[in-house]
Amino acid sequence: MPSASDTVTARPGRGSTALKAVGLLLLVAAVVSFPSLAADPFILSVGVVIMSYAVLATSWNFVGGFTGYISLGHAAYSGLGAYATGLLVIHTGTNPWLAMLLAGVVVALIAIPIGIASLRVRGASFVIVSIAMVLILLLVFQSWGSVTGGSNGLRVPRPFDPSVLRPEQHERFFYLHAALLAVALLAWWAIDRSRFGMGLKAIREDEDKAQSLGVPTFSYKLVAFVVSAFFTALGGGLYALWFGFLDPIFQFSILVGSYMVLMSLLGGIRSLFGPLLGAVIVGYAVEYFKSQYGDTQFHLVAMGLLLGAVVLFMPDGIIPALTQLVRRFRPQAASIREVSQADLAEQRRAAADGSEGSTADPGAAAAGAGDRETEGVKR
Amino acid sequence: MTATSPAPEAAPSAVEVSLATEGLAKSFGGVKAVDGASVTFQHGKVNALIGPNGSGKTTFFNCVTGMIQPDAGTVSYRGRDLTGKAPHRVARAGIGRSFQLCRVFPRMTVLENLLVAVRPGGLGRSMRSARDREDIARARELLSRVGIDHLEQAEARDLSYGQQKLLELAGVLMADPETIMLDEPAGGVNPALIDRIAGLVRSLNAEGKTFIVVEHNMDLVMSLSDHVVVFDRGRQICEGTPTVVQNDPRVLEAYLGV
Repeated sequence: MPSASDTVTARPGRGSTALKAVGLLLLVAAVVSFPSLAADPFILSVGVVIMSYAVLATSWNFVGGFTGYISLGHAAYSGLGAYATGLLVIHTGTNPWLAMLLAGVVVALIAIPIGIASLRVRGASFVIVSIAMVLILLLVFQSWGSVTGGSNGLRVPRPFDPSVLRPEQHERFFYLHAALLAVALLAWWAIDRSRFGMGLKAIREDEDKAQSLGVPTFSYKLVAFVVSAFFTALGGGLYALWFGFLDPIFQFSILVGSYMVLMSLLGGIRSLFGPLLGAVIVGYAVEYFKSQYGDTQFHLVAMGLLLGAVVLFMPDGIIPALTQLVRRFRPQAASIREVSQADLAEQRRAAADGSEGSTADPGAAAAGAGDRETEGVKR
Repeated sequence: MTATSPAPEAAPSAVEVSLATEGLAKSFGGVKAVDGASVTFQHGKVNALIGPNGSGKTTFFNCVTGMIQPDAGTVSYRGRDLTGKAPHRVARAGIGRSFQLCRVFPRMTVLENLLVAVRPGGLGRSMRSARDREDIARARELLSRVGIDHLEQAEARDLSYGQQKLLELAGVLMADPETIMLDEPAGGVNPALIDRIAGLVRSLNAEGKTFIVVEHNMDLVMSLSDHVVVFDRGRQICEGTPTVVQNDPRVLEAYLGV
């Protein structure tokens, strides 16, 4: 029921579109120029790691961000993608890039039955199923040594000629990761603005309600899940080709999956660039703590504290928090809807007409209504 | 409203069946929430489903709309079998519903809340922009119809409970259902808003929408409905016009506790 002082939240208008375009250009410029600005190959390799995290977190966000199903076991798909790529290159001699793509498709196909099984449960149950998945794969890949190399690891041949030196390799892989990231972001953006995306976001808000409005929730979730697994596998495959060595304990680790979640939550799962921002911060922090404190577990403590701080102080992530802050300094466009006295009188007359037509005996209706102590309009 | 109102008097015998159930049953543990309900609702009318608390009205709603699977019995809609169909299939068969404790998408704007709805046959081209011009125009029209168009950019969670009720109704309408099931539309809202909701039900009914309404506000039920079904202990004990039902001794005993 409109009251005279109903507030309307102001939305950013055209000005923000221009701002976004500038921001996007700056981001692209920063990514493109990073390798030439990097002081040494180590910094460059940190850049590749961060890019890889960004790809994985953005891929995770197809499920986590849209549907709100928090998977802690997405390392299953990056690990499978990495191993599938490596094994295809080693055993069939497939072109490495084609192998990576095939691996993505294979993992997407594997994700279909997994999704059908695991998306039946919601909330904490889904989280546990996703963790179980990655633990099972860890055991399988450790034990099945004849194929996967077991705990000794799997050496993946480099896709580039040995004459291409380390720094050059890093640079190429940095750009390759950036390209894959761009494709993933584009796909996320396209879904975000689509009807499909609207349905997915409705699932995140209230799944039963969405279904009652005609959204085929299960198929929607499944498609998002498979798309997510596909991109995650591509990210894993590209990492395998860059790093050249796979060990199940690192590939199928809960920690990698948790990083994807932490990065996305930190940046903001509702934002296109949230996971990327989170990856830059977390990726940098992890490398920093590792280089400062060596092989201690200190970086894990730091990440735990960071996650706690995010959940407590910025539950929606950095990007929404900053947007709110910026919006506060904007002139508020029409924050209060003014209703003239004439409008109010008109509304009352309309309401009165409505109730007259509705009940044969207005007195009885009023008496019945008077019993209610409920107040409809809370402020 | 006036255009179609003479029709019922003209042909009272030709009742078209809307939603119908046959021996519908659902138990939770040992509690028979719905126990062999065989109910027929009339097409093009405002049907009311009343009964004391715990008589199984909401469970009946949930069984019919596919939110829970019935243990036994059948559900049909306009001659089409809907038994055990998933909620989105029921929705796309042309049945929209509201929830007892009003449910909206809290972190979406009022406008987005409406854009979620999928119209019957509207599932193709799902990669098209959700901000379809035609859809937005339709959504705005519905928002202004329920009277919350000025709030379209507000997040649904910032709305008052009454406004959320109106938003939910607009969302249900967005899916363009032929039949609308409302679970306590007047629950927890102020008298002025009850009048507004009643007015909306009437005008929508005049446009041809069928209503099935669960409601405890007896004045509203009696003034609004053409056909009343009374539930007690999971099954219907009486049905008919408001006057017939009001004077039925079984109803007085079960519902009014006389």
